[in-house]
Amino acid sequence: MPTDNRPLSPHLQIYRLPFIVVLSITHRIAGVANAVGSLLVVYWLVALASGPEAFATAQAVLGSIPGLIILFGFSLGLFYHFGNGIRHLFWDTGRGFELHTAHRSGQVVVAGAVVLTLLVWIVALATGGA
Amino acid sequence: MAEFKLPENSRVGQGETWPAPDDASNVRRFRVYRWKPDDGQNPRMDTFELDMDDCGPMVLDALIKIKNEVDPTLTFRRSCREGICGSCAMNIDGQNTLACTKACDEVDGDVRVYPLPHMPVVKDLVPDLTHFYAQYASIKPWIQTQTPTPPDRERLQSKEDRAELDGLYECILCACCTTSCPSYWWNGDRYLGPAVLLQAYRWIADSRDEATGERLDELEDPFKLFRCHTIMNCAQTCPKGLNPAKAIAEIKKLMVARR
Amino acid sequence: MNMRTPVKDARGLGSAKDGVHHWWLQRVTAVALIPLVLWFAFSLAVHAGSGYEGMRAWVGSPFTAGAVILLVATAFYHAQLGLQVVLEDYVGNKALQVAGIVAVKFLAAVLALTGILAVLSIAFGG
Repeated sequence: MPTDNRPLSPHLQIYRLPFIVVLSITHRIAGVANAVGSLLVVYWLVALASGPEAFATAQAVLGSIPGLIILFGFSLGLFYHFGNGIRHLFWDTGRGFELHTAHRSGQVVVAGAVVLTLLVWIVALATGGA
Repeated sequence: MAEFKLPENSRVGQGETWPAPDDASNVRRFRVYRWKPDDGQNPRMDTFELDMDDCGPMVLDALIKIKNEVDPTLTFRRSCREGICGSCAMNIDGQNTLACTKACDEVDGDVRVYPLPHMPVVKDLVPDLTHFYAQYASIKPWIQTQTPTPPDRERLQSKEDRAELDGLYECILCACCTTSCPSYWWNGDRYLGPAVLLQAYRWIADSRDEATGERLDELEDPFKLFRCHTIMNCAQTCPKGLNPAKAIAEIKKLMVARR
Repeated sequence: MNMRTPVKDARGLGSAKDGVHHWWLQRVTAVALIPLVLWFAFSLAVHAGSGYEGMRAWVGSPFTAGAVILLVATAFYHAQLGLQVVLEDYVGNKALQVAGIVAVKFLAAVLALTGILAVLSIAFGG
């Protein structure tokens, strides 16, 4: 009986991914986004090392409307990956694997990411930055 | 590149509709994945309308009713009808579970039934589990010892040591967890998957087994074990309430502990 | 036609007997990044409005310079470990996969060095 024409059963197309699984792929997306965003940090450090004109340009670019939006998104992704990373570290010790615990810790991480992001931005704006 | 889209021959089209009898009062629709190996066609979704007043409560009851009264060519695996053999594992309402323990009332709207995800399909709801079973065999799921068996009694095990096997021995190898794992979807050729790793840990954790080091050696591989990224879809979907993610974490802890 | 037994396919080339090292370093760098990221994010926010001279003085001060260098090195090391896993997951073609991983490691090294040298030039440049 020929077996080489067998179809592959649907996967992403039909699977109802639970909350904790959505958090997992978001952790990966945020990680990759952080890796890309790290270029911004290097760019800013190089600008600071290169003199007042270069630094002024960097500040203008990062302080523009699109720049601020990107920075805000980057900080949100950074703090989400940060918090979920700590959640992963707990799992690596063997703790927190019960489904309700994983669900609850996930909610805490999402809330924490938003809180930390807002906190950092409030501090930045309050000290006269941006 | 990992194939996120289905190959051409796997795209699912619209199939036939089988309406309920005219006197049916409590009608529910079942949308079921169908594929025949003989007609050279792509898979399709058939819709069956059933009178739930004349049907058992579980999705398996509905499938059996369809096969008995509507379309005898509907093909699926089943045996014990009580959640212990693992035969009727399939994707119902978007999650992997056993059809015999999934109540139709737990599903809102049309009941969508697919085979276990990202598997070669033999026919209709029957996946090809050959590779899954081969991966299970590859972890040597039997006791391995140097010490010969005592001649007068069995190998002894304390109550505490026996408790270590709870949550591991109950696995019925239904493959719900393994086929729910995105890592297994993309790398199932080399990644062992949650069910096989849970069983690997069952033997690692067994106090009577003396080949722990060799078992860990065999698992220490970037693909066999370390494609697990603690996504936890396995624990979410296990119809027996087991937690493969936790077992895999325990294996990783042992990997670090023995350095 | 594949005449190999299913167990032959499942066993493949056997276990690489390697993999914990990468996993462990990912965790060690993650733990190191917890205080480094928190400190940098909030300190940067506090100093955000200090202007060119103020920023150079802050970044160039011994403690800050040292911590930023540690942050850059650790973050890029953690990042290339993570990206390696992403490439291993999604790139099936082995040659492409290895090329991608090497490229990522190289890029991470170059960017990390750039960042570190920038900090050093600020610290020693005055």
